[in-house]
Amino acid sequence: MSIEIQSVAKRFGNFVALDNVDLKVETGELLALLGPSGCGKTTLLRIIAGLETPDAGQIRFHGEDATGTHVRERQVGFVFQHYALFRHMTVFENVAFGLRVRPRQTRPPEAEIRRRVHELLELVQLDWLADRYPAQLSGGQRQRIALARALAVEPKVLLLDEPFGALDTKVRKELRRWLKRLHNEVHVTSVFVTHDQEEALEVADRVVVMNKGKIEQVGTPEQVYDTPATPFVYQFLGDVNLFHSRVHGGFAEVGEHAGAEGVVAYVRPHDIELLREPAALTLPATLDHIRAIGPVVRLELRLDNGDPVEAELSREAYADKRYLAGERLHIRPRTAQNFVEDYTI
Amino acid sequence: MHSLHSSKRSGATDEPAWVRWLLTVAALVFLAFFLLLPLAAVFTEALRKGWDLYWEALKEPEALSAIKLTLIITAIAVPLNLVFGVAASWAIAKFDFKGKSLLITLIDLPFSVSPVVAGLIYVLVFGAQGWLGPWLAEHDIKIIFAVPGMVLATVFVTFPFVARELIPLMEAQGTDEEQAALVLGASGWQTFWKVTLPNIKWGLLYGVILSNARAMGEFGAVSVVSGHIRGLTNTVPLHVEILYNEYNFVAAFACASILALLALVTLAVKTWVEWRSERQMAAEQAVVHDH
Repeated sequence: MSIEIQSVAKRFGNFVALDNVDLKVETGELLALLGPSGCGKTTLLRIIAGLETPDAGQIRFHGEDATGTHVRERQVGFVFQHYALFRHMTVFENVAFGLRVRPRQTRPPEAEIRRRVHELLELVQLDWLADRYPAQLSGGQRQRIALARALAVEPKVLLLDEPFGALDTKVRKELRRWLKRLHNEVHVTSVFVTHDQEEALEVADRVVVMNKGKIEQVGTPEQVYDTPATPFVYQFLGDVNLFHSRVHGGFAEVGEHAGAEGVVAYVRPHDIELLREPAALTLPATLDHIRAIGPVVRLELRLDNGDPVEAELSREAYADKRYLAGERLHIRPRTAQNFVEDYTI
Repeated sequence: MHSLHSSKRSGATDEPAWVRWLLTVAALVFLAFFLLLPLAAVFTEALRKGWDLYWEALKEPEALSAIKLTLIITAIAVPLNLVFGVAASWAIAKFDFKGKSLLITLIDLPFSVSPVVAGLIYVLVFGAQGWLGPWLAEHDIKIIFAVPGMVLATVFVTFPFVARELIPLMEAQGTDEEQAALVLGASGWQTFWKVTLPNIKWGLLYGVILSNARAMGEFGAVSVVSGHIRGLTNTVPLHVEILYNEYNFVAAFACASILALLALVTLAVKTWVEWRSERQMAAEQAVVHDH
């Protein structure tokens, strides 16, 4: 089922959480709402769920206005950051809850409930924990149970609020991949909120980058990473070096807006080319530190005016060139994206 | 606990032995002097002239009617406060609304107002010379110097116990579980019975025990509105006072011993509740797997 968000606005006192947001979530897609804390992503998710009422605008489920529909009738599945499992119920009862609270006419018989719950527990691979209490589970297990519980009511839309936010890095990565697989199996329209760009880029079909209550860019992970629409997106989605045309002369001549007054060139560390000899459009720099951990070698350089520059190269390239700390190098961007200065944040 | 670790005790965080001993002894002496000694005194005085007289004092019709009245008042006041307390703390802990802090202050009012003043308030409102006095007299409704007034006074005095116990508990538990229940399609009523209530049951029981103990032992407020009519509007605490003022010490202490026994039972039940809730929490967390 598709979700349309039409000029939705929400403020809390003087704080503008959402400022006229328009967005369409396509049927069956896995969409990430990405942004720093306080950007309104969770508010937007809660408005879609019906846990929060917008001050203005509309939420349409499959073309039908759902703005005034009560949470309990929206048929959404919601996964909370801190799981929100019912602490006094076993895992089985937690998952069965959504079926048991149905009115008598639509409530499935007990045998059917048992079958459905076990099916879902198998789906999240935790059937063996059916008799445990939430407090007896690890964080990753709790979140998978929370997901099974949300899926039990056969929601038309699955909403996840920072689902892996409270987990440690290793479990997080596992669950990310697992969520992606699960989505491929179940294929329910899903929206998840995250502040972790790696998570959003890895899991989502499309990413919505938000900042200060507004949408900065919507696109596939490749689109938002490779062609960021705004400086904010550029900076939020990874490390970046900034070169001001005022300060660094012709350095910003690589991309568009070349020649314009006050242009800033945004260059990713892996797009910084290192040369031993000066050439056209290069800037001299001194190599300060080398961090050779993992597959990527990070080099910290310093321009003559003191500005730091970060460069990245593969282990092979580094082994080939063997740069030394303190060495004098010349840097050049392979590619850069330019933005006009006053547009920066 | 301490003796187990004494061999490994680190000098860095502990006081010298004499300080520890001094403080422990001071605490125990205080406890013995102000709590255990009076408690023992109640029972020795009550039994000074033997069990026969003790029973006589309790079997007396006036004593029996005082016990009955105390039980009736408690049986009305405690369930009322249970409902009020749960409703108030549910509203305060789970919702945001204007005047929330005012409501909290109002709930605490009985703690800050002297019970005698509380009783007096009801006399001023419902008494013969009070605001509603003439109207009540016309319709032949008796509140002051009758059981309804005593129930009102008791409800007022014991009002904060349940709410005070539940508000911090419910605030700590947050609203996530209730929201999860709503999203899953539960009605407000189902959410309350299936999610909220099971989470607060031990705290609620604890609040009920405390408010029960206070309801049975309340003296000041009830004294003002009761009128002290023997055999009619006397509760156990009021009856004790009357007997004592008549120099009938054995009977006074015999009745007092009922209240003391009640206090001991309350303590036992309270300890049991705490023990049960801790055990349940421990059981729910017994096995933690890391996957």
